[in-house]
Amino acid sequence: MDDLYKEIILDHYQHPNHLGKIVGGVEVGEVNMSCGDKLKISVKIKDGVIIDAKFEGGGCAISMAAVDILLDKVIGMKLVDVKKMSGNEIEKMMGVELTPSRKKCAYLGLEVLKKL
Amino acid sequence: MKNYKKLFPIFKNNPTLHYLDSAATSLKPQVVLDKMMDYYQNYSANIHRGLYPISEKATTEYEQVRNKVAKFIGAKFEGEIIFTGGTTASINMVARSWGENNLVKGDEIVVTVAEHHSNFVPWQQLAKRKSLKLRVTSYELEITKNTKLLAINHVSNVLGTVNNIKEIIKKAREINPNICVVVDGAQAVAHMPVNVTDLDCDFYAFSGHKMYGPTGVGVLYAKANRQLEMKPDNFGGGMIKEVTTETSTWAEGPEKFEAGTPPIGEVIGLGAAVDFINEIGMKNIMAHEKELTDYLIESILKYGRIKILGLGISDNRLGVVSMYSDDKQMGTSHDFSDILGRKFNVAVRAGHHCAMPLHTKFGVETGTTRASIGIYNDKNDIDELIKGLIYAKDIFNCIEEGDKKFYG
Repeated sequence: MDDLYKEIILDHYQHPNHLGKIVGGVEVGEVNMSCGDKLKISVKIKDGVIIDAKFEGGGCAISMAAVDILLDKVIGMKLVDVKKMSGNEIEKMMGVELTPSRKKCAYLGLEVLKKL
Repeated sequence: MKNYKKLFPIFKNNPTLHYLDSAATSLKPQVVLDKMMDYYQNYSANIHRGLYPISEKATTEYEQVRNKVAKFIGAKFEGEIIFTGGTTASINMVARSWGENNLVKGDEIVVTVAEHHSNFVPWQQLAKRKSLKLRVTSYELEITKNTKLLAINHVSNVLGTVNNIKEIIKKAREINPNICVVVDGAQAVAHMPVNVTDLDCDFYAFSGHKMYGPTGVGVLYAKANRQLEMKPDNFGGGMIKEVTTETSTWAEGPEKFEAGTPPIGEVIGLGAAVDFINEIGMKNIMAHEKELTDYLIESILKYGRIKILGLGISDNRLGVVSMYSDDKQMGTSHDFSDILGRKFNVAVRAGHHCAMPLHTKFGVETGTTRASIGIYNDKNDIDELIKGLIYAKDIFNCIEEGDKKFYG
């Protein structure tokens, strides 16, 4: 087993839980990266709490797995608390330590959520 | 196959390195490093107007490189060689010093979709500043009488395709004899013979660091009559004839465009790089790299799901090979490059290679994995790359029976 592409990462990348789009009454954050990654996250918020979230886009396995893992975590959280999250927390959730260039990939989802 | 690795000290310090990123920058042979160290240790004076021995020596060494480079690319006069910071600086100099002063509202610039951003963005921005028309073409260049400038690469930094510049210029001049042609030669000079007089281009730009020389130095060949049409855009010491409190006049020739202390040690290192290439011989370089390029392409195409952007095995391409997979389950170039580097110490590049319009045209927005060949490569480097690709396919559970047959 590879030290970076662990089962949890491959599983979220190849079989994401939150792929798609929520229609109606949602807020959307979007980002296009110079590396070619594209990500759009739609979020349903009730009383300041994220009650559902989905993502669309394309990118490397690390960025796509990270956003799916992130959405697992943030559903049920207050948006204000999500905005306080750090990149380190994502690495912890993914169970890997990333090189500086791959941190950019992994932090993409959080960057989009912070735009909300 | 001859082994050139021993000429490059980096392999002594990194014996397991498989360097396949020469299109980004080439590694440096010991002779180049020695020549630069010699300057810095023994005569590191500023050039021109230092009337003492080590300054005279520095000036002589520096100016000899101008002559050496002129011969290397077949320029008629050494005064046609301007030292710059690199290809990007060279092309920006053409846009600022020539384009700004010789193009007028409504004139058309044609660039190809396969340009590196450094031969695209300067023209896009010049067009905006001067209200020029910018046309981006793919196959047929469609030059018109109104096309005043054509910007084109000699060798694509993504596809490896060699453009028939001589033929393109000949055809362009039949339509507009005065068209100014700017050639980006960054990917050509270290890998094939270049003769700017024979090509009949107006400007030819390249970098030292992609031809076994140091970073921070590049060349702009500016044909004599075009150089007279350029106005300096960078002012200071070294480029003037006379300065009064009211006005200034400019030095003649390339010095006019080399304001300030130039990268002296780097220019001298570039001279050693030219000697290095000449010593090995372009014929030998081409034969060595062609054998490896064919082997690389053949090896990649043996395995399913990985495709090559552009030409397969061909005499019209050099050793820059960009690959990708359509399979959405197989990660992107960033995943591949990460795996190749981390697990196999194979150095390749991921992304758009500074050519986003080209990747968009081919519909590979997430980029490609690019392997590029230099004189120090051997078949073992390519075998390691292939092992890495198969390993990556295995990680993504995309391994096929055929793959295992070759690399268990």
